[in-house]
Amino acid sequence: MANALFYILSVGAILAAAGVIASRNPVMSVLSLLGSFFCIAVIYLLAGFQFLAAIQILVYAGAIMVLFLFVVMLLNLGDPEGEAAREPMFHHGRRAFLAMGTSVAILVAGLVAVLNTSFPAIDPAVAETGNDPVGQLAIAMFGRYSLPFEAASVLLLATTVGIMVLAKRQRTPRTQGERA
Amino acid sequence: MNEILVWVIKTGFIFGGLVGTAAAMSLAERKFSAWMQYRIGPNRVGPWGLLQPIADGVKFMFKEELIPDGANKWVFQLAPLLAAMPAMMTIAVIPFAGRVELFGQDFGNLSITDLDIGALYVLAIGGLAIYGVILGGWASNSKYSLLGGLRASAQMISYELSLILTILAVIAMTGDLDLRAIVEAQNTGGVWNVLEWNIWYQPLGFMLFVVATFAETNRHPFDFAECEPELVGGFHTEYSAMRFALFFIGEYCAMTVMACLTVTLFLGGPSVPFWAAAPWFVGFAAFLVKAGFFLFLFIWVRWTLPRFRFDQLMHLGWKVFLPLSLLNLLATGVAILFRGGA
Repeated sequence: MANALFYILSVGAILAAAGVIASRNPVMSVLSLLGSFFCIAVIYLLAGFQFLAAIQILVYAGAIMVLFLFVVMLLNLGDPEGEAAREPMFHHGRRAFLAMGTSVAILVAGLVAVLNTSFPAIDPAVAETGNDPVGQLAIAMFGRYSLPFEAASVLLLATTVGIMVLAKRQRTPRTQGERA
Repeated sequence: MNEILVWVIKTGFIFGGLVGTAAAMSLAERKFSAWMQYRIGPNRVGPWGLLQPIADGVKFMFKEELIPDGANKWVFQLAPLLAAMPAMMTIAVIPFAGRVELFGQDFGNLSITDLDIGALYVLAIGGLAIYGVILGGWASNSKYSLLGGLRASAQMISYELSLILTILAVIAMTGDLDLRAIVEAQNTGGVWNVLEWNIWYQPLGFMLFVVATFAETNRHPFDFAECEPELVGGFHTEYSAMRFALFFIGEYCAMTVMACLTVTLFLGGPSVPFWAAAPWFVGFAAFLVKAGFFLFLFIWVRWTLPRFRFDQLMHLGWKVFLPLSLLNLLATGVAILFRGGA
């Protein structure tokens, strides 16, 4: 039962993820990504990680995807099936190839890393009755791993600033052109 | 007794109660508003208009359903379901009463399930209600709907933060994410069990929470999603028939769940004042009375106060509520530290 569910959910997650890049309508992409997150959250539940599943939905589905949806809707107030839809998907041949190559390389590197790591087997009894997993997680996160935790938040901040800079630089000439 | 059968009975009872409450609320809203305005209210269908919700339901089912031409049909049809579902899912972890024994059978605790992470589950699933609103507004392909949807979602995001932070203070006090444990910590026995309710230890948190539930359920005085003069009906302007009704059922269900959550977190859940060892049905009745008060409060406020302005709402949410709830959490943390652990 659990095995069958796992395979169904995995296929669902992958199909939804494929839907993210296959869909021409950005709102549908966001919805697909949402579906993918949900499948992954249920997979966490199957593995006995209730807390992780709740956080996955709370953070990704409840906060980040709402933000995505916001941005997509605000940028796309006009006709979603308009210009972007008529443009062929691989219009910018070399750049598309570069992006795809990078993605595939990262995917392969990730796969190699995962397959070469030996994960400690979790005793299901411990996973279920483990005393206060939330507390243990908090102690690990703010104790032993506090430096990586802080580094990750700094990285996110840097990304935000970087995106602001990039977006500003690209948009200024275009708006000036429109005004002229 | 068969475990699955017990689950089916409990789920049917609680879920039926939720939907029944939502239907009753639609009548109560009209009745109370009528009384507050010296009107009579619905009184034609059944005695005192009691059968009005059923008549409304039948009417909604037989109405023609319109889908606007430019609408994204798939999302348009999905949105009302997304709006109604989260509230119906979160009711599952609300601990209504203790161990139920009926006809010599042990039914276990009166809640569909007691999750270890109940409070997180409520927050995670409850936060999804926003999708129904925002997608309904977008898929309608109408300016009014889109603006209503955007407003509602901005508001829900802003107040969800305060809501989560006030719940966190309660969780920190109890040291457990299980709603059942939070309820039990507020009723440890003894005559003065009223004094164990979290409302006495979290007065600020309680006030912030109650106001935030109004904003979170898009209720008056924060119902900007449906500002009649500016946005017609807001995100559900283009909806008709049963899908329109689903938005309303969702709203009333969300109100019911929020009332139950307020009672659970701050008023001891099924704890009966001065009677710590009350049997389950007395506790259940106490729970219903307390939750009923908050449901009445929703209606009372709606027909008493005028609507805020949107910038006032954002100002209140980000510059008043967020700092206050952070302060509340900080004060709770300091208090726990000085008392020596939770």
